[in-house]
Amino acid sequence: MTQAREEILGTIRKSLAAGDPRTPRRLEELKSRIQDSAPQVQPYFDDDLLTRFCQKHVAVHGTYERIRKDGIEAAVVRHLTGLGLDTQWHTGVGPLLDATRWSDQVFVYRKCADKDTKVALTEAFAAVAETGTLVMCSGPAAPTSQNYLPDNHVIIVDSRRIVRHMEDLWAMLRTTGTAAARAVNLITGPSKTGDIEQTIQYGAHGPRRLHVLIVEEA
Amino acid sequence: MSASVASQPVVFQERARKALDDISLQRALTKARGGFVDHRRDAVDALPEFDAIRDAARDIKDHVLANLDGYLELYEQKVIERGGQVHWARDADEACRIVARICTDAGARTVTKGKSMVSEEMNLNPALEAAGMTVVETDLGEYIVQLAGEAPSHIIAPAVHKTREQITDLFHKHHSPLGYTDRVTQREALVNEARSVLRERFVTADVGITGANFLVAETGANVIVTNEGNGDLTSCLPRVHIVTAGIERVIPSLDDLSVLLRVLGRSATGQEFSAYTSLYSGPRRHDDTEGPEAYHVVLLDNGRSRLLGGQYQPMLRCIRCGACLNHCPVYGVIGGHAYGWVYSGPMGAVLTPLLNGFDQSLDLPNACTLNGRCKEVCPVRIPLSDLLLKHRLEQHDRRLTSVSGRFLLSAWAWLARRPRLYQGIMALPLWLLHRFGKRRGVLSRLPGVGGWTDSRDLPVPARRSFLRQWHARKARP
Repeated sequence: MTQAREEILGTIRKSLAAGDPRTPRRLEELKSRIQDSAPQVQPYFDDDLLTRFCQKHVAVHGTYERIRKDGIEAAVVRHLTGLGLDTQWHTGVGPLLDATRWSDQVFVYRKCADKDTKVALTEAFAAVAETGTLVMCSGPAAPTSQNYLPDNHVIIVDSRRIVRHMEDLWAMLRTTGTAAARAVNLITGPSKTGDIEQTIQYGAHGPRRLHVLIVEEA
Repeated sequence: MSASVASQPVVFQERARKALDDISLQRALTKARGGFVDHRRDAVDALPEFDAIRDAARDIKDHVLANLDGYLELYEQKVIERGGQVHWARDADEACRIVARICTDAGARTVTKGKSMVSEEMNLNPALEAAGMTVVETDLGEYIVQLAGEAPSHIIAPAVHKTREQITDLFHKHHSPLGYTDRVTQREALVNEARSVLRERFVTADVGITGANFLVAETGANVIVTNEGNGDLTSCLPRVHIVTAGIERVIPSLDDLSVLLRVLGRSATGQEFSAYTSLYSGPRRHDDTEGPEAYHVVLLDNGRSRLLGGQYQPMLRCIRCGACLNHCPVYGVIGGHAYGWVYSGPMGAVLTPLLNGFDQSLDLPNACTLNGRCKEVCPVRIPLSDLLLKHRLEQHDRRLTSVSGRFLLSAWAWLARRPRLYQGIMALPLWLLHRFGKRRGVLSRLPGVGGWTDSRDLPVPARRSFLRQWHARKARP
């Protein structure tokens, strides 16, 4: 085990440059390159973040509705009724979800999804306008399975948490300590596959439908 | 892999010939060819910064390779900090033993797998099955080829060689015993059936094995890029998560990750961003209600470390997008299986001899027209066609090419350096070719070069060489 490690690292060092000793100082230099890491070339766009996010999200087969903070339950019910589904779902956590008081017209389960889960409602840590991506972080009451097992996924996102580029997301993850979550899932549209005759089919293993509720003036 | 030096080229040529005669395969390849190329072009055209991002991607990879030992150490520290374990494997066998031991120690009976080319390189499935485990591939394409008892034929579209009719037959045969007795033929119904069958597997698996598109030294995370979501279900549901990755997958920071992601999806499928890009690090945190209890990373060398510092080092930049396969005219007509190992197309033709030994795959670097499209589309600017030429040169220098071939080359080289003699000697065959072919304008058969004229016509040359004509015209007033 340790022998394999030493042997592999040894071969790498020998192959790279025999005369260049790998000093601890060198390791410190690499460490500071990581710590001082900064955005490099980025795609330029000047649309406002919300417009760009919506446009990109729709381009990957997602749907959305812009709502107010007090309209969350109504919007979810509207979406599910439109699909002919019962008004019950698994839910995660987040500032918006935690602040919502559910009426007794709906059933909300606070647990991991299972293979028969029809609907999950989760809250995004953030969203990226560049690509129309939603960012989900795992945590005690935010299991990853809720994002992948249900047929229908509804994600709530605070419009103020839409960032411009991917690099802005990394900065946000770093400053909030969220980069230490076990799972950071970037979701861009519903699940799909092109494995049968290179033709896109939605709902391969993950959600067949992805609906986003964008909460403005939260 | 045990094929002898002498028989190996024949094996490639036989496989290629069989592929050309395989009507289903030709139909599947024809269907696939245009799509990937068009989608990539559209995505690239829509991003003015694409070339600048490609340069940045190349520079990141070069920087990592020049400091690979350091970044591997930093990455390892971070994984351990997050509660995971890192295992180092010198070769495929050692990697298989490590994975099998982790599975056995966990008391595993069922193992689900996300797509991992490195696990194909390790030939992991037979090793786990020998240890008594049921292994289920969960990427739809990988699942199809697993049912067919085949290997993937494309690094990102494993079942690209299968037609819908063949998939229908496979599903009917393998799913009937599970109660899916209807024979489904429509794409949507096929996808739904696989979804339903595999769902059962996801929730009952003891161990999940995924690959890694990238390993981030900053956070100790493995990054997987998928569209189906199978990789994520494989990562979050079983008790144990094992990641298999080549040592060259490590990158410094999340900012470097953005650069590479921007070229990966566009080059692979023409997507700006894949449906799911996920970062997983360590096992479940202490108050998480879900996630694996153990997280292992198996780092595979298998000959990579020897390539550093040498003329083939640029090959280690490869991010496995498949663009070179999609743009290769040779791959486009023979498919991936003809290449004989897990990596096919231009990247496979360069990498296979490097990892498996030069004498094991003599034909691969020669099965290339040197059109250079692979080099043009590579997102990390690997000079693939140049590397294939280096292979050819090395075969010649190591005397791995045929005696007659080497003799002819040397004779030609000798002659070409003596222009007057060359002109004199070439005049006769030119005149003969012209004489015999001038009526039809082409020659469809020539004695001694049947291998060449069987599938091509030789245009009839002019009666006199260009140089002779040139001199003659210059002499005229």
